[in-house]
Amino acid sequence: MKDTKESFVTEDGRHIGSVIMEMRNITLRFGGVVAITNASFDIREGEIRAIIGPNGAGKSSMLNVINGFYHPQEGEIWFRGKKRPSLRPYEIAEQGIARTFQNIALFKGMTTVENVMTGRQLMLKKNFLWQLLRIGPALDEEVVHRRRCEEIIDFLEIQAIRNSPVGSLPYGLQKRVELARALAMEPKLLLLDEPMAGMNVEEKEDMSRFILDVNDQYGTTIALIEHDMSVVMDLADRVVVLDYGKMLADGTPDEVQKNQAVIDAYLGVEH
Amino acid sequence: MFYREAGQFKTSYAEYLQALPLREDKVGIAIWLLLAVFYVPFFGLPGLEYTFAMNAIMIPVLIFTITALGLNILVGYTGQISLGTGAFMGVGAYACYKLTTYFPDVNIILIILASGFVSAAVGALFGLPSLRIKGFYLVVATLAAQFFLEWCFIRVEWLYNYNPSGAIEVPQREVFGIVVTGAAASPATRYLVVLGILIFLTIIAGNLVRGRIGRSWMMIRDMDIAAELIGVRPLRAKLSAFAVSSYYCGVSGALMVFLWLGAAEVESFDVNHSFLYLFMVIFGGLGSITGSYMGAAFIWTFPILLKELGKRVFDIDSIIMENVSLVAIGMLIVFILIKEPHGLARLWQLGKQKLRIWPFAH
Amino acid sequence: MDGLIYSILGDPFVQMWQMPDFFIQVIWEGFVSGILYALIALGFVLIFKASGIFNFAQGIMVVFSGLTLVGLHALGVPAFVALLMTIVVMYGLAFGIERLVLRNLVNQPDIILFMATIGLTNILIGGGQWIFGSETKSMITTELLIPTGSSVWEPGGGLVIFQHIDIAAAVIAALLIVSLALFFSKTKVGRALRAVADDHQASLSVGISLNQIWVITWFAAGIVALVAGIMWGARSDVSFSLQIIALKALPVLVLGGFTSVPGAIVGGLIIGVGEKLFEIYWGPLLGSGVEGWFAYVIALVFLLFRPQGLFGEKIIERV
Repeated sequence: MKDTKESFVTEDGRHIGSVIMEMRNITLRFGGVVAITNASFDIREGEIRAIIGPNGAGKSSMLNVINGFYHPQEGEIWFRGKKRPSLRPYEIAEQGIARTFQNIALFKGMTTVENVMTGRQLMLKKNFLWQLLRIGPALDEEVVHRRRCEEIIDFLEIQAIRNSPVGSLPYGLQKRVELARALAMEPKLLLLDEPMAGMNVEEKEDMSRFILDVNDQYGTTIALIEHDMSVVMDLADRVVVLDYGKMLADGTPDEVQKNQAVIDAYLGVEH
Repeated sequence: MFYREAGQFKTSYAEYLQALPLREDKVGIAIWLLLAVFYVPFFGLPGLEYTFAMNAIMIPVLIFTITALGLNILVGYTGQISLGTGAFMGVGAYACYKLTTYFPDVNIILIILASGFVSAAVGALFGLPSLRIKGFYLVVATLAAQFFLEWCFIRVEWLYNYNPSGAIEVPQREVFGIVVTGAAASPATRYLVVLGILIFLTIIAGNLVRGRIGRSWMMIRDMDIAAELIGVRPLRAKLSAFAVSSYYCGVSGALMVFLWLGAAEVESFDVNHSFLYLFMVIFGGLGSITGSYMGAAFIWTFPILLKELGKRVFDIDSIIMENVSLVAIGMLIVFILIKEPHGLARLWQLGKQKLRIWPFAH
Repeated sequence: MDGLIYSILGDPFVQMWQMPDFFIQVIWEGFVSGILYALIALGFVLIFKASGIFNFAQGIMVVFSGLTLVGLHALGVPAFVALLMTIVVMYGLAFGIERLVLRNLVNQPDIILFMATIGLTNILIGGGQWIFGSETKSMITTELLIPTGSSVWEPGGGLVIFQHIDIAAAVIAALLIVSLALFFSKTKVGRALRAVADDHQASLSVGISLNQIWVITWFAAGIVALVAGIMWGARSDVSFSLQIIALKALPVLVLGGFTSVPGAIVGGLIIGVGEKLFEIYWGPLLGSGVEGWFAYVIALVFLLFRPQGLFGEKIIERV
């Protein structure tokens, strides 16, 4: 892997851009427990970046640091060429970072299409007075964004459930609605926390296809946590390996697979 | 057979996003409106004496519907429980009283609508703790508002113009030569004014909850952490819910005193009333505009009808009937929570769903 | 301006110093009502710990139990038989609530259960007044052999009066709390209760019957309510206007934390003593009646700085 900030093209012809986000020496503690120790890695524009590691390795904590839910005690986060100050989660959403959750965090009282519409909240600009009249510009705005949401719903093939309350949907579909909601934010950086957890093979294949399509069609940079190694190896351009909050390795799937420390700690010695 | 969406095609999203996309619903609302405007003011309710129907049922029900709409915005749409509704209505009523004292010539309807803003400000102030406090702890915060404001209504004599009785008494006011408030105002006039304001506020509530602001409320209600990660500012969302909710409560409080009771003391705004309004919202349906109508109508009229029934048919003492209706309402609340936690509105919706696919079961 | 500062920060303390006997009297009065707040709060905590339900009806259970006791006695039942019968009624209530309400609302969101207990409040108020009448009644204090005289203490020429009822209230409350603590730590049922409080599903998996546990907790809360009802009724009267006072258990809970028994006791005493002192020494500045809201406002201010209560654990949010 070239150690350069410039963009380049991988062997299989994918365009990987310059660094969009860089984590420098991140350390995160909860009281006496250290969740992440001195972790540094970067995410490049247009790539699919995987964060892997055994349970309790600090993967979810890392995503929570990236989108501002946790604030690390040490280290710096650089986003799009600027050092990021400590921000509230909604300010980070405004910067164009969206995510999905390990334990689905949909708005259970709303339907699928309403959930997807919540992703457009930041793009709806008309003020309170327009909102309460709901005519002219406010309605136009609502219609424009509604159309966009319907496109995303089509794209993820969930038209059939667009008016169903999300609480009653099966698990796999809920995961898909959550992805739709994140996509509706048109993020610069999309964080996926175990997008395929608890899915059967077929659902995993569908989800993998969607992730690749999103990356391909919209050029969205994706950072994902995943347990299924075969999925990670297929999807990811580069992989970070964490273990007990420490960085074990960072590189292409091939490089990581060959790394002895990774084999010992995570993949295990072959039986 | 009568209620079908078949054949009604939407050709644009704007059409799809209407409040009542189905033609049958539009016709239904139109019939209700025609009855409310052209029948009730002249004939009251069928089978009931006219002044009784207007003063004891129609006017209070419409006023409490505004309250229920307001409380539903807070509890049903934003998920913040409040037991301070009575006091927020009081703020509206006292504000209205002070405003008419200072501006005796201004149109009373404008003053009523303006007094809601005072209530909104007080509501937002007492909503501030909701940023740090969640769930049941917030109940205590709203009770603090309730009891502190009740105390103010007694101790701050300026609020009732140093009236020795401690009550606010409604002066006579005319709008375009028609007496609207005071003893000389006819029930029909008062009814129509309340109805007009209710329709206006219903449309606004409907618009708000379907748009950006309503969604931000529901996001906070369903999962506040996820809402913040998507870009909702909790401060803005919660305070706007408190303010809008209290605006509705304030207007309904002003209407309650000026167009219904004619005079009021602190008892009209006490914590027992706060419970009553909460019942309306639960029973009608949390997070539903239709539910606010149904809840207010049911919770208000049920004890009255029960009492009349007891008196006329079984000759039972009205105090006993009052207790019977307390028990009955309590049981109905528990019953509906068990059977359908989303209240009458959901039952109504399910009924319509059944009708839509009739004669098939599924 | 100086005068105002003095009347807030100076004068009340001078008064306390000049009339120490009156000061002690105020503290004592506050202490006794604090014990009663603590008893109501204790009932809340028991139920909240065992089932996660915020039982809004706890305050009404206090009045209801007192009313049942007095009402039965008025029907000619001897005092101690009436007491036993009231205990049976409270068991029946716990059983009925579990069977008819809780069992049907398992797995519903907390807010729904909370609202169900508000509905329950209505049923208890209406039912109590329907059966026993809505007029104010006095507690059958002497019949239950609760001492009613008073003792006078004269420290340095002053005068402090201790009502025997108040002393009895303090002693009985202390006994009740000790026996509850023993019940929780020493008996099999008590251990099961604590297991349920920790983790519902885990306790189910080791063979504890949740339904049974709920009946027992609601019954225990009912007994606590009965004791509070008797003591309270003996100090004032038995009527449903007490429900407003019973609501003060809520700020007590906020102070103490929803799951902490010591918190309920300490919180109750802080609120009881604090509001008496405030009413007597600072109340005249604002006009009387500040007792009505003082507890809530203190709780509110407290919440802003420590949302988890005095003894509660800090909540770490996760996604």
